[in-house]
Amino acid sequence: MGAHISIPMYQRAVAQRYRLVGQKCTKCGKINFPPKAVCKYCQAGNEFENVSLSGKGKIYSKTVIAGGGAPPEFAEEAKCKGSYPVAIVELDEGPRIIAQLVNPPEEGYSIGMPVEAVFRKIYEEEGVIRYGFKFRMAAQSV
Amino acid sequence: MEGVAIIGAGQTKYGDYPNKGVKELFAEAYLEMLQSIDQGLEPQQIQAAYIGCLSSGSGFQLGQLAPLLMGHVGLPNVNAVRIENACASGGYALYNAACAVASGKYDLVIAAGVEKMRDVSSSKGRYWLGVSGDTEYERLAGSTFAGIYALMAARYMYDYGMKREHLSMVAVKNHRNAVANPKAQFRKEITMEQALKGVPVAHPFNVWDCSPTTDGAAVVLLCNAKLAKDFTDKPVYLRGFGAASDYLAIHDRNSITSLAATRKAAAEAYKQAGVGPKDINFAEVHDCFTIAEIMAYGDLGFCEEGRGHILLEEGYTRPDGKLPVNASGGLKAKGHPIGATGCGMAVEIFKQLRDEAQEPSRQIKNARFALSHNVGGSGGTAAVFVYQRGDE
Ligand SMILES: [Zn+2]
Repeated sequence: MGAHISIPMYQRAVAQRYRLVGQKCTKCGKINFPPKAVCKYCQAGNEFENVSLSGKGKIYSKTVIAGGGAPPEFAEEAKCKGSYPVAIVELDEGPRIIAQLVNPPEEGYSIGMPVEAVFRKIYEEEGVIRYGFKFRMAAQSV
Repeated sequence: MEGVAIIGAGQTKYGDYPNKGVKELFAEAYLEMLQSIDQGLEPQQIQAAYIGCLSSGSGFQLGQLAPLLMGHVGLPNVNAVRIENACASGGYALYNAACAVASGKYDLVIAAGVEKMRDVSSSKGRYWLGVSGDTEYERLAGSTFAGIYALMAARYMYDYGMKREHLSMVAVKNHRNAVANPKAQFRKEITMEQALKGVPVAHPFNVWDCSPTTDGAAVVLLCNAKLAKDFTDKPVYLRGFGAASDYLAIHDRNSITSLAATRKAAAEAYKQAGVGPKDINFAEVHDCFTIAEIMAYGDLGFCEEGRGHILLEEGYTRPDGKLPVNASGGLKAKGHPIGATGCGMAVEIFKQLRDEAQEPSRQIKNARFALSHNVGGSGGTAAVFVYQRGDE
């Protein structure tokens, strides 16, 4: 079974995976993340400036992926943790991003709570570790 | 534009067929379709075939599935093409076949779908089913297809006060509906207690909130409406058909509690048909996950956005309600052979609007207009159809 996300496909998005680089549309000023060829807001601009996103935002929605249903490349993680939380985060700059949550509070957490991005290992496949962003509750010390 | 009628329809029972491949499944549905044409048809009159399939038989046939299937049923020389839009492949086959007849180019066109899901191991199945969403971001977050719909459900609960129980109401209703449907995969009722307590999949979903993996095929024959009565006294007219797309990835969409693709496709279909949601007597909607049916109520105009769970709670969409939804059992219990699903809905509506639902207990009476709704993935595509009975 080949890698679901090939190494070249992963590497082409390293700026997004490692540094949350978004694109500011020179026509309307809004920030696209992930990148688009034509701005998703004004649907006209096709020139952009790179901007690094703050990684701060709020939980927009959330789920917990159960072990049995996890994609195969996450099976090991699911097996050791039983399940893992995934959320859509709305960043302060506007774009939404989908990512895992790390160490969510045991007493629970809800939509609307502030979170911040942290750089983490996502999984390992074909001998290459895939890194990217996860989110933790803001001001939480890890 | 020419009018479009359905004059024949057939499908396999949905289920698990270790001894049948895509060719055998397709042939079974095709031959049942031919038999359903009241005055008979010389098959060589068929001019084209649009066949929906996601996996080309679990990925075992690399390309050109449509000529393979048509050659298997004695029609090697028609214009045959495979259509793929994930779970909406069948709906898009129907849409393209309808456009081909409406354009006047063809008079007799097959719209079909087939899927062979039960051959693949569940781990390989999870690999390719994940592809229906956005691979680069959704998948790298560890999300599954169920996870994406679960994110929609969680937000719907947050925005509109829907309860976990509402999701289970969809599962209970659709499983009950499937009991009398001889074509359904799971003909067994489940209780509310069961539906609430299944094995967790992606919070808030458990296994009862998810459609199954299914083998199956469905075939309908479209005809120029002017010629329909040469073949049957009871054609079913396709009065409106709409299709639209949306951002593939959930994080790119403005709203995740409504599918913009469904809204646009429905508006197009209603406009062409010259009817509105109030005129629809029953509907087959895309309930790949329980939340999908609840969102569809709003997106198809059966209620205001955010009130889908209230409509359900009031029994409005039960078989004895004002607008029965998924009387077949839906994707949830009739089954979801991905590429076949959209055409299987048309088969169900064809039978219902001809008063041929087989089991009298499940026949919807006095229906004039019906609607079907087929969604690709998490809403990257959607197709909506409005049907009218033709024997009045
Ligand atoms: Zn712009």
